[in-house]
Amino acid sequence: MVPSLGNFSLFLSLLFAISQFIVSRKNKNLKFISISVIGLLISSLISFFLLMYSHVVSDFSVLNVFQNSHTTKPLLYKISGVWGNHEGSMLLWILVLTLFNYFIFKLFNKKNSIFILKTLEVQAFITIGFILFTVLTSNPFERMIPAQANGLGFNPILQDPALAIHPPLLYIGYVGLSAAFSLSVATLSLNNSEKIPWYNYMKPFVVAAWTFLTAGIALGSIWAYYELGWGGWWFWDPVENASFMPWLLGTALLHSLIVVEKRKSLQTWVLLLAILAFLLSVVGTFLVRSGILTSVHTFALDPSRGIYILIFTALIGVYSLTLFGSKSKKYFDNNYFTFFSKEGSILVNNILMIVVCATVFLGTIYPLLVEAFTNSKISVGEPYYNSTVIPIMIPAILIMGVGPMLSWGKENKSKVFKEILPNILLTILMTFFIFLIYKSYSVIGFAGIILAFWIIFNNLLMLIKKNRKYSISMIVAHLGVGLLILGITGSSVWQEEKIIKMKIDEKTKIEKYNIVFDKINEIRGPNYVALQGIFFVYDDKKNIVTKLKPENRFYPIENNFTTEASIHTNIFRDLYIVLGEGNSNDGWVVRIYYNPLVIWIWIGALVIFLGGITSININLKKLKILS
Amino acid sequence: MKKQLLIIPFIIFLFILLTFFYLLAIERNPSELPSNLLDKKIPKFETESLLKNERFISAKEFGKEKILVNFFATWCQPCRTEHTYIKRFSKEKGIRIIGINYKDNPKKAVEWLRKLGNPYSDVPVDKNGRIAIDWGVYGIPETFVINSNGIIKYRHIGPVTKKIYKKINLLISDIE
Amino acid sequence: MIKKKFIIIISICLVHFFLNNVQAVEPDEILKNQKQELRARDISKNIRCMVCQNQSIDESNAPLAKDLRILIREKIKEGKNNDEIYEFLTDRYGDFILLNPPFKLNTLVLWFFPFIFFGIGIFIIFFHNKKSKQN
Repeated sequence: MVPSLGNFSLFLSLLFAISQFIVSRKNKNLKFISISVIGLLISSLISFFLLMYSHVVSDFSVLNVFQNSHTTKPLLYKISGVWGNHEGSMLLWILVLTLFNYFIFKLFNKKNSIFILKTLEVQAFITIGFILFTVLTSNPFERMIPAQANGLGFNPILQDPALAIHPPLLYIGYVGLSAAFSLSVATLSLNNSEKIPWYNYMKPFVVAAWTFLTAGIALGSIWAYYELGWGGWWFWDPVENASFMPWLLGTALLHSLIVVEKRKSLQTWVLLLAILAFLLSVVGTFLVRSGILTSVHTFALDPSRGIYILIFTALIGVYSLTLFGSKSKKYFDNNYFTFFSKEGSILVNNILMIVVCATVFLGTIYPLLVEAFTNSKISVGEPYYNSTVIPIMIPAILIMGVGPMLSWGKENKSKVFKEILPNILLTILMTFFIFLIYKSYSVIGFAGIILAFWIIFNNLLMLIKKNRKYSISMIVAHLGVGLLILGITGSSVWQEEKIIKMKIDEKTKIEKYNIVFDKINEIRGPNYVALQGIFFVYDDKKNIVTKLKPENRFYPIENNFTTEASIHTNIFRDLYIVLGEGNSNDGWVVRIYYNPLVIWIWIGALVIFLGGITSININLKKLKILS
Repeated sequence: MKKQLLIIPFIIFLFILLTFFYLLAIERNPSELPSNLLDKKIPKFETESLLKNERFISAKEFGKEKILVNFFATWCQPCRTEHTYIKRFSKEKGIRIIGINYKDNPKKAVEWLRKLGNPYSDVPVDKNGRIAIDWGVYGIPETFVINSNGIIKYRHIGPVTKKIYKKINLLISDIE
Repeated sequence: MIKKKFIIIISICLVHFFLNNVQAVEPDEILKNQKQELRARDISKNIRCMVCQNQSIDESNAPLAKDLRILIREKIKEGKNNDEIYEFLTDRYGDFILLNPPFKLNTLVLWFFPFIFFGIGIFIIFFHNKKSKQN
């Protein structure tokens, strides 16, 4: 009953999307539009919650619930499990799409009616594409009759709070970019959109998208860090790259919008980036769900899904990019700026972000190209990205320090130099200081610390100056990046690792810490049993620092093992312990990691997120004033 | 900025799109792993034999006739399921099969072959897995088709299924 | 009674403990010579685990990964240099086993394009600058 209703509601939402498309194209009747928009939102909400209901009550007659759930799964994961699989995640995509569709609709007023209608038309097309895809290839309401008594369970490493909110945040990101896409296409296709402040409409969507994409990516990395067991948090896995590329273009888009708002320059950049960022999001979806790549993340593989997504991408891509090719010329401006200016630094940043994005894209699809066109197979892994992306990022970060301080149009080089001289000195001083503490002489470490403090001090300087012209959200977000770089450098360059076999009551030492293996407990969780090791950590003054309790869990339903690392965090370092194999006779394999400055990665990401939220608020206020 | 340059994003997009369509069209299997030793001579090895007293020397055995090489072990469940097909190769094609016993207990292996039937003309023992590494083996079972000149013509990863059995059958007839 | 069952289950399970995503170098693999061990780790991080999805043999718990880790350490002790070790592995498993793509004809594009993109980018910047100055 419930699943059939859910399925019906899904079809209904398809109808509403089609009606929105037709009405915004032909009829243009405001009443019908609002019925379509609201109907679309409500029907997709209903189908989403009905799927959630089926999961929560463990209705195994629904194939999706059977394949991904079990009665013993904790409630939180029954809920988040709704979007932890391919079919369910499509419902979440659709829900967020209909929500943003509603936000676009709210922008409607007498002056911009044609423009917003056009935007709604494009957005409707996108929504139809996603709902049709779901209905044709990935319907979560498919039944399994006769229903089994219980389900197959859910991968235990995915049963985690960080991973539960990671997809919704990412989808807000991608859908926000779809709104920017629709606004861009509307701008290009209409003839007098110069009169419409289309960039003012686009900005809040882009800021929201970028902010939540940042949060989503950060949460994915946090999860990887504490779940996967060796202190790594980024692997250049194709699915990670699929979210990173839209983020890079989103960053360029965000900054270009600021320039458009203030100086009307870079409009063609904005129009193009808005199209490309969303196209990349969809291509990313294609790469991940089509089965064309293998990755730790890939969802169930199905070539028909791949074909559909590719055709959809082809339609929106060909249309939008040919439109751009023919219509964007009138958005050129001849406003002069040197490249030692605020616009100049943003333009350089755009180019660098696009170069990094193109590099990551190339690295991701290159193995496919080699396989398709030659008879061999190669891998492109972490070493490739490290050697290409990092060198290109370095100038971008250097520019990021000084760019915000430059004036519009043209800047006096010696004036700026005088302003940032204290920063340069402070940065050098801080770098020496850090090196005194960590006593390590790595070139990458050196570069990373310099860059981090370059950003941090430049932004603190701007903060202290209380100059009205510096946007607080920019300072906060950039500060976050500086902290992020600090964390990344510390944890990558100065990580210490110890792998040994320990018997109970034995002790070992890492850095200044003494670690004693106290005992092994057997514990029981809601859907797992585990062996838990108890380790006491003492500092060099024999004071107890913490008790670490790593676990090896066995989930009987899924027949799967996981390890849960135990981590003690402070602002200087993480102490991270993993319990390996072993027994009471021979002892246990214990892996201990000393990861400096890791928490600054997460703090940095949080600060960036806060900067973004502040900016969303400011931009929403601006939008209200507009209307 | 010239107007013509504005069409460049579209052109790049088209190229990438066509590449993806092509990749989907050729139906590649992303988990299929080619052997780097195809069309190369078999890696030489010398080791003890499970069932015979004399050592197994590959140089003596390969290069005279078509041979099937099958990596197997008693602890490997898929090896058990494919064993009927291995026996069929021996019976129906009359082809010589060499079974390399991978990281196994010799006594158990002897018993396993006694119980399930022994299609192998010889069973060299790969105690520590190094022979397998020399053959570029990922995991057992793996089956190789060698022609009469000692050249590796084909490698299959995983158990031999009906489909693979047919494929290898045809191949054996085709090669020299 | 139930507790006993659990202990048995856990012991049996952990004997067959087989997880692909925990960093996997074991204490008994570690070489005594620190320099050699560091070399082994560096090489391992560049070798793909062929039976996993997107992991190096340094990270993977798969049996093949372990065998290769041990083999690499043996070769280091024998005095082989890094190139020889990589060649040994690629002879048997192809270039696919390298996570750092080799510098060959079929990877020319891969290695050069980022810098070509970068160059084009710089060119665009200068071109824009020149044009702006003219206006």
